[in-house]
Amino acid sequence: MNIISEQVDGRPLAQRAYFASLSREFVTVVISTAALVVVCLLFAPSSVTYGSLAGSLPFAAILSIVGLGQMLVVQQGGFDLSVAGGVSLAVVISTHVPAGSNDGLLPAVLLAASCAIAAGLVNGVMVGLLRLNAIVATIGMNALIYGGVFAVSGGIPRTTTPLLAAIAGGDTLGIGHSIYFALAILLLVTFVMKKTVVGRRYEAIGANPMAARAVGLHVRLHQTMAYVYAQLLYCLAGILLAGITNQPTAFQGDSLLLPSVAVVVLGGTSLIGGRGFPISTVMSAFFLTQLNQFALAVGVPYSAQTIIQALALGFGIAVYSFR
Amino acid sequence: MQNSALAVESRNVRDLVPALAAHGAASIRLSGISKSYSGIAALSDVTVEFYAGEVHAVLGENGAGKSTLMSIISGVNQPDTGEIEFEGRRVSPMSPETATALGISISYQHPAILDDLSVLDNLRVAQPQSLFAGRAPRDVAEELLNAVGLHVPLQSRGDSLTVAQKQLLEIAKALALRPKVLILDEPTASLDQDATEMLFDRIRAVVKTGTSVIYITHRLAEIRQIAHRVTVLRDGRVRGGALVADVTDERLLSMIIGRTLGSTFPPKAMDLSADVKLSVESLSGPKFKQVSFDVSRGQIIGVAGVAGNGQSELMRALAGLESSTGTVRLDGHSLTHHDLLREAAFMPSDRLAEGLASSLSVRENASMAALETFGSLGVLRRTKELDQVAKAFTSLAVKAPSIEAPVTSLSGGNQQKVVMARALLSKPRLIVADEPTQGVDVGARAEIYRILREITNSGTPVVINSSDAMELEGLCDKVVVMSRGRIVRTLAGNDVAEANIIAAALGAERHIDARDEDSQGDGAAARGGWRHFVQTDNAPAVPLAIVTVLLALFGFSQNPNFLSSFNVANILTLSTALGFIAVGQTIALLLSGVDLSVGPLTGFLVVVASFFVNDGQPWTIILAGFVLMVAGALAIGTINGCLVRFANFTPIAATLAMYIGLQGFSFLLRDGPGGYINASVVQVITMQVGPIPLAFVVLVALVLGAEYALRNTRPGWQLRAVGSDEESARRIGLRIDRIVVVGYIGSSLLAALGAVMLMAQIGVGDPQQGVNYTLSSITAVVLGGTSLRGGRGTFIGTALGALLLTEVLSAAAFLGLSQTYQYVFQGALVMIAALIYAAVRERGRG
Repeated sequence: MNIISEQVDGRPLAQRAYFASLSREFVTVVISTAALVVVCLLFAPSSVTYGSLAGSLPFAAILSIVGLGQMLVVQQGGFDLSVAGGVSLAVVISTHVPAGSNDGLLPAVLLAASCAIAAGLVNGVMVGLLRLNAIVATIGMNALIYGGVFAVSGGIPRTTTPLLAAIAGGDTLGIGHSIYFALAILLLVTFVMKKTVVGRRYEAIGANPMAARAVGLHVRLHQTMAYVYAQLLYCLAGILLAGITNQPTAFQGDSLLLPSVAVVVLGGTSLIGGRGFPISTVMSAFFLTQLNQFALAVGVPYSAQTIIQALALGFGIAVYSFR
Repeated sequence: MQNSALAVESRNVRDLVPALAAHGAASIRLSGISKSYSGIAALSDVTVEFYAGEVHAVLGENGAGKSTLMSIISGVNQPDTGEIEFEGRRVSPMSPETATALGISISYQHPAILDDLSVLDNLRVAQPQSLFAGRAPRDVAEELLNAVGLHVPLQSRGDSLTVAQKQLLEIAKALALRPKVLILDEPTASLDQDATEMLFDRIRAVVKTGTSVIYITHRLAEIRQIAHRVTVLRDGRVRGGALVADVTDERLLSMIIGRTLGSTFPPKAMDLSADVKLSVESLSGPKFKQVSFDVSRGQIIGVAGVAGNGQSELMRALAGLESSTGTVRLDGHSLTHHDLLREAAFMPSDRLAEGLASSLSVRENASMAALETFGSLGVLRRTKELDQVAKAFTSLAVKAPSIEAPVTSLSGGNQQKVVMARALLSKPRLIVADEPTQGVDVGARAEIYRILREITNSGTPVVINSSDAMELEGLCDKVVVMSRGRIVRTLAGNDVAEANIIAAALGAERHIDARDEDSQGDGAAARGGWRHFVQTDNAPAVPLAIVTVLLALFGFSQNPNFLSSFNVANILTLSTALGFIAVGQTIALLLSGVDLSVGPLTGFLVVVASFFVNDGQPWTIILAGFVLMVAGALAIGTINGCLVRFANFTPIAATLAMYIGLQGFSFLLRDGPGGYINASVVQVITMQVGPIPLAFVVLVALVLGAEYALRNTRPGWQLRAVGSDEESARRIGLRIDRIVVVGYIGSSLLAALGAVMLMAQIGVGDPQQGVNYTLSSITAVVLGGTSLRGGRGTFIGTALGALLLTEVLSAAAFLGLSQTYQYVFQGALVMIAALIYAAVRERGRG
């Protein structure tokens, strides 16, 4: 034990701090992912070729963004089932409203963002201020959002705007744009969490709302805003998805609900709230996507892929549960 | 009044003492009992005998070891060494079950009353069936309540009782079995004068029948009134024992005090200037009344008293965490409770619950309250934060492996210093420290005293609550002693001495003013039949049924075919499948869990059935198919339950992994629709009587049966008890693990019934079917009015919720409304229902 104002080994505090902050969750995810990549290289090299990755990584990127949204809610002890609706609504707004015209894209994106803020506020007020159970409130919200999805689309898919396809589906330096988006969001979330007053308070409230209240932080306000941040991220994911997919359906978000929770859990964020792990969450998204690619490459049927995912999830929770 | 009671009592004592000598048998003899927790001795070499037919008081300060001793007698904890003899026979080991069998019962200081259960259910779930055998349970219950003078309707919920009423109910539970040994842990802490007198009469009565009563208290006056013999504990050792009649108050006090304290104290304030820093005038709040005191510059003020007499609440009010009436002035300016929340720094007594965020590092915990000072425009400068935190840590001499170490890796004393560093970094104008040295080792205590003194000297007033009178003597310039929420004595200067503090705290004879409790007390009893019904679990059934009928009539007015026998049969059939699954989900939610796996499980079981229940198969194979469905459900339910109870998974995580896995297994068995279900089996399942499907009748019968069981049978109470409050359920002796696992099995088995219905509806094994039932089952349960907090719910409501949900979807389709409306109706219904139920419950609690 040292009195910690001293410098040990002549290294400044900040540097030692950096190494100390490599959490167990992060290490677990990195090792699992590295092991998976090695296994892929040995047994299914086709799953780690450029072509294969170029096809799968954009979807990992979208799962990352959705997962980060879910993480922001889960770290406040919440749970967001309106992922599916949020993503789907952004998908249909960004395809149906412009109706194939590039000029209509910007208004459509703004409309989608406004809808996301509204949906997030309703969720947040119900959970954060009115203290409704998060599952109930977001089930209800999800149905309402789907009402909006059908009002916009009538349930019919529509071809993506060329501009959006270029923005979201194009690539620069051989890397799909959606991946840049995901990395930018990851950087933003990490920066806000670690370097800003708002983010640090947000993290402290998630880690122990009672202690945060005892030092006078606005616990309920931050808990409310969690759902707004989450919906904005779902919205971005939905818009990107609309750009990547040629004819996105009105139910595009449904398949993201469970994986969004799975990546949060695999990333080490506890479902009863606590600290959020953005980098681990994004790595988990890559891990789950690559696991699928591996299963595809070695010719495992869809069923086995799902079982492998469930086992990975169960294993992940078990590792974090036994401390 | 007081005198006559005393006179009566002293006569009783004289009557009893010779009788005692006559039979002289010890009910319980403890010899050489020692117990330590992580190396710290809670009890050392305690030897004491409790005799039949007398009241034996156990006296001592907080932390003297009284509660540990009681937990050993009642079998909750095992001693490290030493023996327990019951009526001359050695009992080893003493377990809660043995204790109950021997006739030892205990009334806890914090009553193990379940808030969501009615008074009657609280009595029945905690007592053996035999107590109620052969008589109307309500009569038995009334008798038990009358015995302790508790007059509340049997159907009132636990949460509508006052603290005093809960305490009486707890005592009634302990008395119910006519115990041979009755342990009462501070039973009068929340009782008013009348209730206390009544309780004492009751104690005298049971003692006459030969019961040995062990009475834990802090109040000397009570010992004189009720006890025959007294044993004093100090620092986990027996300091003395005597017949009450033979011992003076002074002698008892001298046994209680005189603890040795290893730490040293900093010098006290030199000049008591008249410059008042902090002044509190007639401050009242939850559990404290009319508190007034002044603090001069440079003074530390201590708040003393027996734990639970309003000190903690006063501290919270001073920190702005509770609202209060009255005035708090700091440097002459009056502060509202919002000002206090901002200006005061609070050091909570429960560090892990409220002081520290255990998943954050030492640095993050320390800087939590002062983030805005570490940077500009909302962006932090790391070096500035590190500098400030390191500076604070140096001045407090915090010892930690690194500034980024998890805060839980620090010792208790250093954790407390981190809390202090946080307080100092936020530059507070007032420091409120609740039990600042609890769980702190002797060396660190001295440093904490020094720091608190330095803070005071620098001009920031410090208010300390401590249950350690010795500590207050050494540290404080002024001490206010509280009892029953009021200040009973203010000590200053040389009067601040341990003996004075304890004498004031224990000697106070005040009882809670009956009027203080009235405002809450009458609420429950005076509530009329209608108001009462609104609070029952089944109340949501009425509005749901009305909405269901109104919607049916509206649909009929728009299109007469809505109530055609074809459509009615259709709605009822669809709602039957959902109904079964939702009833299962209700069980999980009643246990304050959730079962996300029901949807995929339903689909999976249909896929399983599609391999056996086909046309042309012999009946044995078909039967085997059904047996396999049940076996599959059993297995899945068991796994879910075990993951939740034994592997530490949260219910969401466990059943989510199961959800994904089951979907995989469905696809493993069939990658597309296939395996047509036997037509005659389908015919049997879909049989109708007029427009009513037989299966719906089965559902109704099952729901009514389950509802009856939930209200009137032991498993029903146990289920609600565990969901309501796991800790209390454990203390009344329920086997939580088993109940939860059985609950998840029940949920899965009901999903299997849902699968039978789904099988007949789709007629084929399809791996994609069923998953939607997860969300719609939760929706139906919520519509039905079951609380997701657990403990409170209704199967009838759930079934009606399933029916209404199906009807809404059908009506939307019938009225030619687009899918938009189907979703909007569904969503709005859930949200409105949830908001209404939440509001009703909130009023019920108030």
